[in-house]
Amino acid sequence: METQLNADQVAVRDMVRRICADAAPLDRVRALEDDPVGYDPELRKALAEAGILGMAVPERFGGSALTWTEMAVVHAELGRALAPGPWFASSVLAARLLARTATTDVQRAWLPGIADGSRLVVPAWLEPGGSARATGIALRGEKVPGGYRLSGLKRHVPCASSADRLLVLFGTDAGTAIALVDPAGPGVDLEQAFSLASDTQYDVRLDDVHVADDDLVGRPGEGWSHWSATLGEALAPLAAYAVGGAERALELTVDYARTREQFGKPLGAFQALAHELADCATEVSGAELIAYRAADALDRGAPEAGRLAAMAKLYACETFRHVTRSGEQIFGGVGFTLEFDIQLYFRRAKQLELSWWSPPELEDRIADDLLTA
Amino acid sequence: MDFELDDEIVAFAREVEEFLDAHHDPDVFDVTRENMAQIVDTPARRAFLKKLAERGWLGMTWPREWGGQERPGVYEYVLNEALAHRGGPQTGKGVGIIGKTILAHGSERLKREFLPKILAAEIEFAVGYSEPEAGSDAASMRLRAVRDGDGWRLDGQKVWTTSAHFADWYWVGARTNPDSKHHGITLFLVPMDHPGITVKPIWTMGGAPMGAERTNEVYLDDVWVSDDYVVGEVDKGFQYISQALDLERFSMFTFGPIDERLETLVEHVRTATVDGVPVREDSGTRRRLARLVTEAEVARLLGLRVLDASMRSERDGGAPPTTEASEYKLYATQFSQRLADASMDLGGPGTQLRVGTGSAPMRGRAESTYRYTVIDTIGGGTSQVQRNIISRRRLGLPRSF
Ligand SMILES: Cc1cc2nc3c(=O)[nH]c(=O)nc-3n(C[C@H](O)[C@H](O)[C@H](O)COP(=O)(O)OP(=O)(O)OC[C@H]3O[C@@H](n4cnc5c(N)ncnc54)[C@H](O)[C@@H]3O)c2cc1C
Repeated sequence: METQLNADQVAVRDMVRRICADAAPLDRVRALEDDPVGYDPELRKALAEAGILGMAVPERFGGSALTWTEMAVVHAELGRALAPGPWFASSVLAARLLARTATTDVQRAWLPGIADGSRLVVPAWLEPGGSARATGIALRGEKVPGGYRLSGLKRHVPCASSADRLLVLFGTDAGTAIALVDPAGPGVDLEQAFSLASDTQYDVRLDDVHVADDDLVGRPGEGWSHWSATLGEALAPLAAYAVGGAERALELTVDYARTREQFGKPLGAFQALAHELADCATEVSGAELIAYRAADALDRGAPEAGRLAAMAKLYACETFRHVTRSGEQIFGGVGFTLEFDIQLYFRRAKQLELSWWSPPELEDRIADDLLTA
Repeated sequence: MDFELDDEIVAFAREVEEFLDAHHDPDVFDVTRENMAQIVDTPARRAFLKKLAERGWLGMTWPREWGGQERPGVYEYVLNEALAHRGGPQTGKGVGIIGKTILAHGSERLKREFLPKILAAEIEFAVGYSEPEAGSDAASMRLRAVRDGDGWRLDGQKVWTTSAHFADWYWVGARTNPDSKHHGITLFLVPMDHPGITVKPIWTMGGAPMGAERTNEVYLDDVWVSDDYVVGEVDKGFQYISQALDLERFSMFTFGPIDERLETLVEHVRTATVDGVPVREDSGTRRRLARLVTEAEVARLLGLRVLDASMRSERDGGAPPTTEASEYKLYATQFSQRLADASMDLGGPGTQLRVGTGSAPMRGRAESTYRYTVIDTIGGGTSQVQRNIISRRRLGLPRSF
C-alpha cells in the first residue's frame, strides 16, 4: 500500500507540469477560449514529444502505453493547468476505442498519428434531445452495398474542425455501430457551439454521408458496448483531471484568503471561511484518493474497477464544482470578474460534471453494478 | 499509488476472520452497540480480549523489548477494523493510546508495571481529559494537582469519563501550573478504586433499551498520587494528550462499523419490496445508494492514508500524521451521520421502530444508528475542532477562534 505517488509517477507529474507551465500558462488558456481550433500547436508538439499523446496507444503503434495510474497523473496536471485541447478525447477515448476494436489496418492508419501528434480523432456521440445512453442515439445509418449512409445531428463534438476523423456512433438494424468519418468530407457540416467552459466544440450535421464497411470500428451491434466500456474506463483519468482543477482552485482561494483583509484581519481568520476551506481540502484529498484508487484497480484488472471509475468521476467532479463554487464566494466581487482566474476553474468544473456522463448516469451505473451483483 | 494490502497482510486478515468466526459469541459481539461496542465492559468481553492476548495479537506494533513484535501498524489496523466490523471489543485504548504514550514518554517503572498487564489484557483504563468547563478547549482543564511530599494531591471534577464505572486505572490530566495553559497540565495514572474517587453515571441516548449506554462524572477529592505515577514529565501532559488524540481520531473511530451499516442497507435495498415492487428498482433509492457507497469508499481511503502516513512516520522517524487523521475523522463521522439519515429514509417509516424489532426494516438498526452516530462528530474532538486543525495546519490559515 502506498497512498502517495511513487518516484516514477512524480517524474511524470513534474514533466507534464513543466510542459503546461511553458506551453499552457493561464494567459494562453484565456486566449484560446471560444477559439475555433481550440489548442495551441506548441502544446500539442510538446505533449507528443513527451509521449503523452501516445499515452493510451500500444507501443507497437508508436505509443507509450502508460498505465492508468500514469494517465491519471497526466490528467491531474492537465486539469491543474486547464490545458486547452482535445487530448482526453483523442489520446484516451479514441485511442482506446481503436486499440480495443478496430481492424489492424485502421489501427495502423490512425494510432501512430494520434501518438505523434499529427492526427486527431474525436468521438461524435451525443445528440440533441437524446440521453447519454444507447437509446440516445437517433442518428441512423442506412445500409447500402459496401457501407452505410448516415444522416443526423451530433452535438458536443470536441475540436471537430481540426479533427482528422470523427468516431460517429449511429444506429443500424443490428444495433449501434461506430464509423470513422472525415469531418471535411462531403455532406458534413460543422457549426461551432459556445459553451459554459468556453471550450471548442461543434454541432456536426451529417447529410447522407457515405461510410465504407472498411471505416467501421468494431461490428455493427457491438458499438455501444465498446463505447461504454471505453468511456467507463476513461472516467478514471477524467476524475484525476477534476482533482487537478479542484486542487489548483483551492490553492488560489487559500492564497486569497491569506492575503485579502477585511475588518482588520485576513479573510482566512474568519472561521466561517476557514471551515468551508477545511471541508474543501478534505474533499480534495478524498477525490484524489478515489481517482487513483480507480486507476490502480484498472491497472490490476480488478473486477470492481468499472464501478470505482464511475464513483471517482462522480465524486471528483462534485468536489471540483464545490471547491470552485466556494472559491467564487470567498473571492467576493472580484471572483465574478474576468480578470481573476477562479472563474476559469468555476466554469469548467460544472461543465465537466455534466460531460462524459453526468451524475445521474454515473449513479445508475454504480447502482447497477452494486445491486445486480 | 497502490491501495491493496500486501499478501501477508491479506493472509493475516483471513486468519483474523477465521479466528473471529470460531469465537463468535453474541455476548461479546454486538453490532447494535454501534461505536460503543469497542469498550471492554463485561466479563465476557474481557475474557475475549485475553484470547486475543494469548494469540499474540495485542501489542503487535510494540517494541520486542516490551513484549511486542515490531510489526507495522497495518496489523493493528486490520485487527481493529475486523473487530469493529463485528461489534466486538477493541484494543485501541490500552494497546494503542495509553500503551503507546507510556512507551514513548513513561518511566521505566510505569513501563514495567503497566505494559505487561496491557499485553495480557489484565487492565482496563478510563480516560479523563474533559471537564465541565473544558470540552473542546481541553487545555483549559482545571482539576488541580498540588505538590505534596513525593507526590501530588488531586482535587476537582471530570465529566464524560466513559469506562470509569468498570475501569481499573484512571488516565487523568490535571492542572499542575496555573500560569501556563498549554504547559501546565500533567498526566497521572490513578487507581479507579481510590477512596477519594466518586463515579456518577450519565445516561446517554445510546443503547438498547435506550439509555443503557452510560458515561460518567468523576469527582476526585483529596486523591494523593505518588510521583511514580506521573506520566512523562510534569507540565507536558497536554503535549502527550494532543499526540494521543491524533491516534484516537483514527483508532477509535474505525471504518468497520460504517461499512457494516452500509452492507445492512445495501442488503435491504437488494431484497426488500414495497407494494410488491422491489426497492432496488426505485431510481431515487438507487441514486442515493450510489452516492453513499461512493462516499463510503472515500472515507475508507482517507483512513488508509492515515495508516500509510503513520507507518511512514514510524519508518522514517517523522511526526505522526495530524491533518490526515483530522480529515479522516471529519469526513468519516460526518458521513456516518449521512448514512444513518439515509438508512431511515430508504428503509421508510418502519425504521422508526426500536432496534431489535423483528418486523422493522433492517431489524431496527437504522434507528439505533441514527441515535448513536450523534456522538461520532463530538467525541475525540468535534467536527469544528477538526476543521480548526485542518485550516491552520494543512492550509496555513491564521487562527480563527
Ligand atoms: C458519550 C460521550 C463519551 C465521551 N467519552 C470521553 C472520555 O472517555 N474521556 C474524555 O475525556 N472525554 C470524553 N467525552 C467528551 C468529549 O470529548 C467532549 O464532549 C468533546 O470534546 C466536546 O466537548 P463539549 O462536550 O464540552 O462541547 P463544547 O466544547 O462545549 O462544544 C459545543 C459546540 O461548540 C463547538 N465549539 C467549541 N469550540 C469551538 C471552536 N473553537 N470553534 C468552533 N466551534 C467550537 C463544538 O464543535 C460544539 O459544536 C465524551 C463525550 C460523550 C458525549
